[in-house]
Amino acid sequence: MAVFFVAPYANMLLISFLTPGSGQPYALPFTLANYARSVTDAFNWRVLWNTCWYAALTAAICLVLAYPLAYRLARARGRAKAALLVIVLSPLLLDVVIRSYGWMILLADNGLINQLLRKLGLHPVQLMYNAFGVVVGLTHVFLPFMVLSLLGSLETLNPDIELAARSLGARGWQAFWRVVWPLSLPGVFAGTVLVFVLAASSYVIPSLLGENAVLTMPLLIAQRVLTVFNWPSGAALAMFMSVFVLGLVGVYAVLMNRAMRGLR
Amino acid sequence: MGRGSRWLGVAVGAVCVFLLLPIVVVILTAFNAGSYLRFPPQGFSLRWFVSFAHNSTFTSSFLFSLELAALATALAAVLGTLGALFAVRHAGRWANALRLLMVAPLELPAILTGVALLIFFYGIHLRTQGLMTLLIGHTLICIPFVFLAVSVVLTHFDTNLEEAARSLGADGWRTFLRVTLPLIKVGIVSGATLAFVSSFGEFPISLLLSGVQATPLPLQLFDYLRFSFDPTAAAVGTVNIALTVSVVLLTERWVGLESLYRGGRR
Repeated sequence: MAVFFVAPYANMLLISFLTPGSGQPYALPFTLANYARSVTDAFNWRVLWNTCWYAALTAAICLVLAYPLAYRLARARGRAKAALLVIVLSPLLLDVVIRSYGWMILLADNGLINQLLRKLGLHPVQLMYNAFGVVVGLTHVFLPFMVLSLLGSLETLNPDIELAARSLGARGWQAFWRVVWPLSLPGVFAGTVLVFVLAASSYVIPSLLGENAVLTMPLLIAQRVLTVFNWPSGAALAMFMSVFVLGLVGVYAVLMNRAMRGLR
Repeated sequence: MGRGSRWLGVAVGAVCVFLLLPIVVVILTAFNAGSYLRFPPQGFSLRWFVSFAHNSTFTSSFLFSLELAALATALAAVLGTLGALFAVRHAGRWANALRLLMVAPLELPAILTGVALLIFFYGIHLRTQGLMTLLIGHTLICIPFVFLAVSVVLTHFDTNLEEAARSLGADGWRTFLRVTLPLIKVGIVSGATLAFVSSFGEFPISLLLSGVQATPLPLQLFDYLRFSFDPTAAAVGTVNIALTVSVVLLTERWVGLESLYRGGRR
């Protein structure tokens, strides 16, 4: 574990400081130029911005879609619960490429949805090879993670609390908004962070459903390493992205903490 | 039960449809006779499965992926279990650091792990791109699943049982084989199931570490889909789905599905 995990990461950090070589992938001397180029290039920032934007959008949509499901699941018992759980978990176990393919069949220009639109006499729309397709795909793949995170905190919640709120005169929405939602915030936090990080580092979906129209950071890094063969630059970009994403998560954690304290 | 719960039901139903739709569509396409799916379907046919069976790049990738996933799972089962035993019982104040390390491959973006491994293998002159490098990468990704699942079981473990066995005359090794192992079997099996399934579907690591001779199925499928929409891919997908479902069902038979979800939770 130490050899094959810690060492490669340390090595990558080291190489990100080396000069791109001509004959071999990297060479001496040490330099900060890779980082300077990563940070100053406006193009990189745009790609990074796109990546984070799609990831944040995915996390938000996942939250909205997953909440009712997790809420229902936390209150279900026996067979109903098992069935729902299977529905939620089974997509998680399937190859991402296959799930993307499913979306390709649905969203393509002559895919199922556009066929349906034509039949209804409407104009077909481009649903794939753009940001829309990518966000749909990402949402689908990472939704189960959100459900599981929310379930963790909703399950520990005593259903009587909601009844108590109602018996004290709160209406259905009020009981939810003032009691259940604040108590589920730890799950909301865990789920959104998890989905954001996973979506930001996803490779398959942006490349299949986005083709060349969408470029995200993981695609750019893989391109640098595999096609352009500029390993130091790729390594520096990878570090840059990790630090930036972790930083965002950190800021979010602080904000979330403040929100939770405000409610108390 | 008021209007609120009816709306909740509708919302839950809609989300379930959203989750299952692409999978259903892949299966429908695979059994559909036409070269792309339309409504109404153009009749039942197995021709895409035949086309899969005759496509040697797909079949060899399929077998290769199976082999890789099986080997990685076996390695990860041993290493993850040992890691969990050590972390829970002997690591003392290092336990948290160790736990963090063992779970790290799951939490760091796999594409970065792939890049790091690729550069590392080059650096130590290990022949890059082949079964060996892929196996190391996949094992790394698989370990956290086993580690987490076994850790969960171990924290609820009643050590009195082991002491009882010892006091009845069993030596250390026998106690482990006859008492400890059967009791943590649930964790190992459910962790290994998740490990197998995720290795079988692993993409970013394979992308960076595979070679011409050794292309796992998801990668093959990915390359294929960039150039064509041919339903052969749907047939491959359906076989994959069937395989995954049967692995999960076997586990369910053996240790129960609930444990898969409890033990495998991140």
